[in-house]
Amino acid sequence: MKRFDAPVTSLRPIARDYFELRFAWKAEAGLPLPGAFLTVRAGGQYDPIVRRPFAFSCYAPDRGEAAFIFQKRGRGTAWLSGLRAGDSIDVLGPLGKGFSPPPPGSRPLLIGGGIGLGPMLYLAHQLAKEAARGSFEAPVLALGFRTEAQLPKLELPAGTVLCTDDGSAGFHGSVAEWLWSFDSSVPPALFACGPAPMMAAIDRYAAARNAPYQAATEQWMACGVGACAGCAIRLKDGSYKRVCADGPVFDGSLIAWED
Amino acid sequence: MDLSVRIGELLMPNPVGAASGVFGYGEEYEGLVDIDALGALYTKAVTPEARAGNAAPRLADTPAGMLNSIGLANPGLDAFIADKLPALRKRACAIVVNVAGKTEDDYLRVVEGIEAEEGVDGYEINVSCPNVAHGGMAFGVDCALIERLTRRLRDAADAGAKARARSGGPSARRPIIVKLSPNVSDITASAKAAEAGGADALSCINTLVGMVIDLKKKTPTLAMKTGGLSGPAIRPVGVAAVYRVSRAVALPVIGLGGIGCADDALQYLLAGASAVQLGTAIFARPEAPADTLAGIRAFMEAEGLERVAEIAGLLR
Ligand SMILES: Cc1cc2nc3c(=O)[nH]c(=O)nc-3n(C[C@H](O)[C@H](O)[C@H](O)COP(=O)(O)OP(=O)(O)OC[C@H]3O[C@@H](n4cnc5c(N)ncnc54)[C@H](O)[C@@H]3O)c2cc1C
Ligand SMILES: Cc1cc2nc3c(=O)[nH]c(=O)nc-3n(C[C@H](O)[C@H](O)[C@H](O)COP(=O)(O)O)c2cc1C
Ligand code: FES
Repeated sequence: MKRFDAPVTSLRPIARDYFELRFAWKAEAGLPLPGAFLTVRAGGQYDPIVRRPFAFSCYAPDRGEAAFIFQKRGRGTAWLSGLRAGDSIDVLGPLGKGFSPPPPGSRPLLIGGGIGLGPMLYLAHQLAKEAARGSFEAPVLALGFRTEAQLPKLELPAGTVLCTDDGSAGFHGSVAEWLWSFDSSVPPALFACGPAPMMAAIDRYAAARNAPYQAATEQWMACGVGACAGCAIRLKDGSYKRVCADGPVFDGSLIAWED
Repeated sequence: MDLSVRIGELLMPNPVGAASGVFGYGEEYEGLVDIDALGALYTKAVTPEARAGNAAPRLADTPAGMLNSIGLANPGLDAFIADKLPALRKRACAIVVNVAGKTEDDYLRVVEGIEAEEGVDGYEINVSCPNVAHGGMAFGVDCALIERLTRRLRDAADAGAKARARSGGPSARRPIIVKLSPNVSDITASAKAAEAGGADALSCINTLVGMVIDLKKKTPTLAMKTGGLSGPAIRPVGVAAVYRVSRAVALPVIGLGGIGCADDALQYLLAGASAVQLGTAIFARPEAPADTLAGIRAFMEAEGLERVAEIAGLLR
């Protein structure tokens, strides 16, 4: 984990209000793995004062480049969306604990909704490579969108399932509905990142199928390194965990999604 | 040039500290901040029992600042001594334990418990906590209570120093630093109450009460509804507080609130602070404490000053 200034190598729009930001990764900082994240300064010296967290969407060691996909939501991401190649960003990372490998013999089902796109895409590419070497089945990536206009202009892994709420493209319905319709004879291993209602629906599916569920969570952050206890997320047993340091990937069956 | 700062019997190697609550117990920032180069590390609040903290979300973003309602999440006195203190003891910087509680006896238990331990250099008393005996009103709004609490803690720390001396240990009398709340009508009255109770120093300011409302959800963003405002937005409030408090009492004042660089810190030192702390700015730039110290040194060089305390004398 290091704090460094990184040149932006490219910033491109990939869908309405979605951007992919590529930047030079400092190898000494460590490996930016799927599920792990970084924080960036997104503005001037004083405002916003708090760094913004984003999950890695890829890492290309040969090019010394990492990336994240972000949605323009508020002032920080609006500032990021105005960056150009050659500009510099202030990066702190890699932070947090990423995904663990799926159990041998399982079929990894990767579910992404909204800003969960980046980390799930990264994980899909990684698991596809590892599946080719053996112990588990090829992963299936399923991504949920409201409508066709939101589909990202990105190279997606072969066999990616696209779901739209309005049926304008791909499967008509939510990714959770697709999941119930998916006929998996192989025991599934679930991986997901997205809005809380989606995460809760996957929790119910995983419980019904008795399947392991690795969930990448989100919570407002201040330090990002485990020092301030600001990013607490509630577990079903009533206790709290720090998303930045204990997660952001947790056993999804433990999280109190319905809060 | 001498950068050290004396707070009672405590000698801090330099005037730049890391504020309570933003820095945990130091370990998380290992590798990002040169902790041994700090003047002082003020720990996350320690309470007698472990506290899980408040409901989430606990943070909200504000213009040039942030709100927090962490709720004094900490492992409790025994776990602090067993798990956190051993690493803190080895630090080159001063270790100041931030003390909190729901009752006066809570504060006393923490100070008495830590008095039996070596490796702590002082106490910072967080009087912004809700007092259960007074319907949750903060300790810091009641001057009689500030004075009585300060006296009880000063007595406990004196007794502890004597006990350590008797058993041949280090006998330093650890300073009681009362951390003042800005959420009062007259902060100099709180300062005088702490002085009357025997405080060795004051730190100001703690966070200001604030609220953000989420327009989409039509609810306050924080689960606890209100939280403490910190960051550059509160700096002018802190500078004014230090200016007034340092003129109202004879005690050293440690300034904080929105400091992120040497220029910010110098405003506090000119206003009358003996030392400073950086809080929220460390989230933004972990290098901020080191840069702040370098800038203070450069300022003193340019002004031909020998000691940090001379900076306050420059204010016209
Ligand atoms: C571990 C982690 C990984 C993340 N990965 C990604 C990612 O890959 N791509 C992406 O687009 N976003 C990601 N986010 C969310 C991202 O950090 C926020 O969208 C961003 O901080 C918004 O900043 P802003 O200044 O534009 O928005 P603001 O103006 O601060 O807020 C805009 C809206 O976003 C909400 N918001 C802001 N920060 C968060 C947050 N941390 N968690 C939940 N809601 C938030 C606010 O409540 C508000 O409704 C991640 C968050 C976490 C904690
Ligand atoms: C996340 C967070 C947690 C805090 N926890 C404590 C605490 O436990 N005890 C305390 O006395 N002050 C606490 N504070 C207040 C800070 O120490 C400091 O007084 C305040 O943030 C103003 O300084 P700043 O603007 O530099 O952050 C906390 C502040 C923040 C942002
Ligand atoms: S953001 Fe500070 S502990 Fe997670």
